[in-house]
Amino acid sequence: MATGFFTDTTLCIGCKACEVACKQWNELPSDGFSFTGDSYDNTVELSGTTWRHVAFVEQIAATPDGVEDRWLMSSDVCKHCENAGCLEACPTGAIIRNEFGSVYIQPDVCNGCGYCVVSCPFGVVDLIDSLGGTAKYSTANLQESRLDASKTALAHTGGVAGKCTLCYDRQTLGMVPACAKACPTDSIQFGDVATLRERAKERVTTLHARGETSAQLYGADDIGGGIGTLNAFFLLKDRPSVYNLPERPVLPSTRQPDGYAAAAVIAVGLAIAGWAIFRSA
Amino acid sequence: MNDEKPLLKAPHWGANVTTYLFLGGIMGGLGLIQLLCDPRDESMRKLRRTTRIASFLLAAVNPPILISHLGRPERFLHMMRIVKLKSPMSVGVWGLVLYSGAAGANMVRELAQSGVLPSWMRHFAPHALTFAQAVLGAFTAGYTGVLLSATAVPLWAAGKRHIPAASISSGAASACALASLLSVIEGNHEACVKTERLEMVASAVEFAILMDFRRVSGDYGKPMFEGPRAEKFRTVTLIGGIAVPIALNLLGQILPLPKPVDAARTVVASVLTLLGGYVLRETFIESGKASAAVRQTAISQPT
Ligand code: SF4
Ligand code: SF4
Repeated sequence: MATGFFTDTTLCIGCKACEVACKQWNELPSDGFSFTGDSYDNTVELSGTTWRHVAFVEQIAATPDGVEDRWLMSSDVCKHCENAGCLEACPTGAIIRNEFGSVYIQPDVCNGCGYCVVSCPFGVVDLIDSLGGTAKYSTANLQESRLDASKTALAHTGGVAGKCTLCYDRQTLGMVPACAKACPTDSIQFGDVATLRERAKERVTTLHARGETSAQLYGADDIGGGIGTLNAFFLLKDRPSVYNLPERPVLPSTRQPDGYAAAAVIAVGLAIAGWAIFRSA
Repeated sequence: MNDEKPLLKAPHWGANVTTYLFLGGIMGGLGLIQLLCDPRDESMRKLRRTTRIASFLLAAVNPPILISHLGRPERFLHMMRIVKLKSPMSVGVWGLVLYSGAAGANMVRELAQSGVLPSWMRHFAPHALTFAQAVLGAFTAGYTGVLLSATAVPLWAAGKRHIPAASISSGAASACALASLLSVIEGNHEACVKTERLEMVASAVEFAILMDFRRVSGDYGKPMFEGPRAEKFRTVTLIGGIAVPIALNLLGQILPLPKPVDAARTVVASVLTLLGGYVLRETFIESGKASAAVRQTAISQPT
C-alpha cells in the first residue's frame, strides 16, 4: 500500500503551519531571515532544508471599480513521483523507494554529487550546504527515543541532498506526517493514495457542481512525460503554471536512448574517417 | 511575485565539472587515435605510444577532479556500490574505471615493448584491449553529453541529440589537437599531418552540430546562443576554437611551410582548439544554470 498526500489548495489559508511543523520535526535549519518585500511568500521555494513551501499567488489588479484581488495558496512538497527523475539519476543508490512507496534519500549513502538536483522535473530536491561547525542537526535527542536515526534527515551534517521524506520515521511508528498533522484546515490530507485519489475526485465533482469549474487535479492521474502518477498530488483552482508547477513535466531519463544513439553515430563516423586518414599512405 | 519565481533548481557544478567534461573528452578521443595507429609504420608507432601514455595520465587525473565536486568527497566509493544503467552518472563512472584499466594495461605494454619496463610485462595487455580502449573512449567522450541532456535543465534537455554528438566530436577534435601538439614536440611530423587532418574533420562535424542545435533549439537554446554567454562562446569556441584552427590546419596541409614556422602553426592551432573545447563545456554548464532560471521553458519541458 502506497501512502501519500492529497493537498487540496482550495482549503489552504496560508498559515504556514505545515512549513513550521516540518522544520521542527525534521530539525531543519532556518533559511535565514529575509523578506521578498512584495509578497507574503517569504519562503520562495522548496530547498534541501525546506520541504514544505506555501506558495502564495497574489493576483491583484486595478479595475475601474477599485481593486480586484484573488489569493491562491498552495502548500508545495516533493511529489513522490511514480517514476522519479531523482531516483533514476542517483548514482549511489542513495535514493530508494521505501515500503510506503515514498521516494526517500538515505542521507548516509548520498555523496552530494548533485545529479538528482538537476534531474527533478519539478525543481524540488537540492543540496544542503555543508553545515560544518555550526551544525544544527543533532542526533542526541533521537538516541533516547524509539526513532531510527538512519530514517531521518539527521544522520548527516550537510553536503548531501535533501527533500521531503514523507516523514519516513513517523510512518514507521504509525504516525501521520508532521505537516498533515499540523494543517488546521485539512488542506493536507495523508493516507493511502488510492483512497485519497477517490476522495479528491469526489471533491472536484462537488466543486464543479458549486460553480468552481476551474478546479482540477494535478498528478492524481498520469501526468504524462513518462512520470506517471504522483503520490503527493494536488487540487488546484487554476492552471498548474499559475502555481509554478510545470504544465508539461518530462522524465529526464526518457531522453537517454536518443542521446546515446546520436553519440554512437558520430563516434562510428569519426572512426571511419580516422581510419581512412590514418591508414592512407 | 510568482512570475519570477524559480521553478527548477540550477546545477551546482562549476569549474571542476567543466574540467572533468573537457579532459574526459580528450581522454576518450585519445582512445580512438591509439586504435587508428598502424604499428608497422614508425611514425604511427610513436604516436600510439604517446597517445597511450597521455590517455593514461588523463585517466589518472580525472577521478580526483570528479571527486572534488562532491558534497561529501570521502563518499566517492558509494558510486561503486551499484551499477545503474538508467543513470548516466553511474555508467559513466564505471566507463571511466574500465577505461583506466584498459589504458593502463596498454601503456604498460607500450613501455614494455620499448624497453622501459621488463619485456615480459607486455603480456599484461592482450591485443583486444586496443579495441576495447577505443570503444570505452568513445563512451567516456559521449556519455558526458547524455549526462547533461538526461536532466530537467531545459537547454540541456533540448539538446538531447546535439549535446552528446557535440561532446564526442569536440572530444575527438581536442584529442587530435593534443596529439598534434605532442607529436610536434617529439618531432614526429608525419603523425602530425594525420592528426591534423582528423582534427579538421572532427571540428567541422562539431561546428555543423552546434549550428544545427542553434537553429532547432528555439527558446530553449537562448541561454546559450543569446545574451552574455553567447559572445565568449562565439569568439573562443566557434571562431577561435573551430574556424581558425581549421584554416590554420588547411594552410599546413597545402602550403610547404618551413619546419619551424609549421611547428609554430601547429602549436597555435592546437592550443586554440583545446581552449575552444574547454569553453564549449563551460558554456554548456554555465548556460545550463541560466536556463534553469527561465520559468517559461521549465513549464513546458522539452520531450
Ligand atoms: S518531485 Fe522531484 S524530488 Fe520528488 S520524487 Fe519526483 S523527481 Fe524526486
Ligand atoms: S546528490 Fe546524493 S541523492 Fe542526489 S544523486 Fe547524488 S548521491 Fe544520489
